[in-house]
Amino acid sequence: MSVSGAEIAAARPRVIGALAAQFRDLDLAEEAFGAAVEAMLESAAVPGNPAAWLYVTARRKALDQLRHRVAQARAHAALEPLEEHMAEVIELPDPIPDERLRLVFICCHPALSPEARVALTLKVVCGVETGAIARAFLTSEPTMFQRLTRAKGKIAQAGIPFETPPRRLWVERLAAVLATLEVAWSVAYRDASGKGGTAELAPEVERLALMLAELLPDEPEALGLAATVLLARSREAARLDGAGAMVPLSEQDPAQWDRGRIARAHDLLTKAQALGEQGPHQLLAAIHLAHATRQVSGATPWETIAALYDRLAVMRSSAVVGINRAVAHGRAFGAGRGLAELAQLDEARLAGFLPYRVSQADLLARAGQDEAACTALEQALALEPGPAERRYLAARLAALSAG
Amino acid sequence: MQYMLLINEDESVYAGENGEAIMGQTLAGHMAFGQALAEQGIAFSGNRLKPAATATTIKWDYGSHTLHDGAFAETHEELGGYYIIDVPDLDTALEWAKRIPIPGKGAIEVRPVWDME
Repeated sequence: MSVSGAEIAAARPRVIGALAAQFRDLDLAEEAFGAAVEAMLESAAVPGNPAAWLYVTARRKALDQLRHRVAQARAHAALEPLEEHMAEVIELPDPIPDERLRLVFICCHPALSPEARVALTLKVVCGVETGAIARAFLTSEPTMFQRLTRAKGKIAQAGIPFETPPRRLWVERLAAVLATLEVAWSVAYRDASGKGGTAELAPEVERLALMLAELLPDEPEALGLAATVLLARSREAARLDGAGAMVPLSEQDPAQWDRGRIARAHDLLTKAQALGEQGPHQLLAAIHLAHATRQVSGATPWETIAALYDRLAVMRSSAVVGINRAVAHGRAFGAGRGLAELAQLDEARLAGFLPYRVSQADLLARAGQDEAACTALEQALALEPGPAERRYLAARLAALSAG
Repeated sequence: MQYMLLINEDESVYAGENGEAIMGQTLAGHMAFGQALAEQGIAFSGNRLKPAATATTIKWDYGSHTLHDGAFAETHEELGGYYIIDVPDLDTALEWAKRIPIPGKGAIEVRPVWDME
């Protein structure tokens, strides 16, 4: 029997978090963890507690590395002597100090650019390879490597604290963490086909979101975001039809949705709502959850969804929220109402935005304005959608023009 | 750790209608800022600079140089002063930097000072 990749992945944030907190050096923590994993894979004996084994080994490797650096500098810094008794430590049920939250706060510090935060969190906390992150961000591996190096350099040199933020900074710092996770999530779900560079991120983003929900059980927005990610994941199997065309949420086969994830999201959202104060992430989760009720009831509660979007639009106005709100109103109260809501948005600014054209086409078709709907679909197709979306839009266009 | 807080601001607010009153308020704000630093026992230094129009810039291009009238960066916001504060980390430096009075548009750049020890 050997240690599984899942066990190593689960140990990673714990071990790196503990090492980073102790040595205040992300690179050192990452390298030491990598060396420890290598040592474990080479070793014949499988440790009973892989996380503890990795922690002890990585800590030793980090100290060796530090000693090496000190020796190289011909300095005589007094490093604590390390004579650890592996056996003793490994007997302990969980000897690793839990510094995962601290690690997340460091990687998501608002002094780093949002994109750098996402890349760094995926790399350091989740262990996603630089190449995979580069593919998700549609950039080259050397460019992404540079970005990561620069971010780590800033953390080390600008004096970004290796502490969990104090209460008075909590709101700002938590917002930065949630924003980071949200960007990671949107990158993971950018491609409707669920294939290509971004798809491999989805499980990592889910793991990260659930970890944050576990570490921040009293923060309703963290729970809301985790619920949203779970609900998106729950629909993965239903997103494409047999021909590889995108299936819009309202047309998906609910039997293909993952019940376990939906139930888990429901629990998280219930907990979040019990904590009071409803923020945008909870509202978004509530919207996705309302869609999920179709699995049981057979019908989408569009009026509820429209009301939720009304509140979300007030709390956090954006193009996507405005478009989705118009669609929900169209389904709840008639296509004409939806088109009226859509007309309130800034068409000049949204003309090149695919979701706008797709929603416009949908509302027009539902209003019986087939010709205008075809024009909107043609405009949507001209915006170079991904292959899955293209297949779906082309099929819609063919059906409408034939009718 | 030492941080330099570079104050870049739009000088025109001090030249406008209520310019003098705004300047008076801003200066009072700086006095209060220095006092707060002193009360917290934070070592600091700082200076106000004369307007960017008084600046002379020496531009270098691989060994040869030319003199220019005015500030180096041609933006609406000019370097108008700076503080150097000694605080434990970036979060603390940013907290202090946010307390520097900026009456109009402006930006505070927070830079760690190279530790020469």
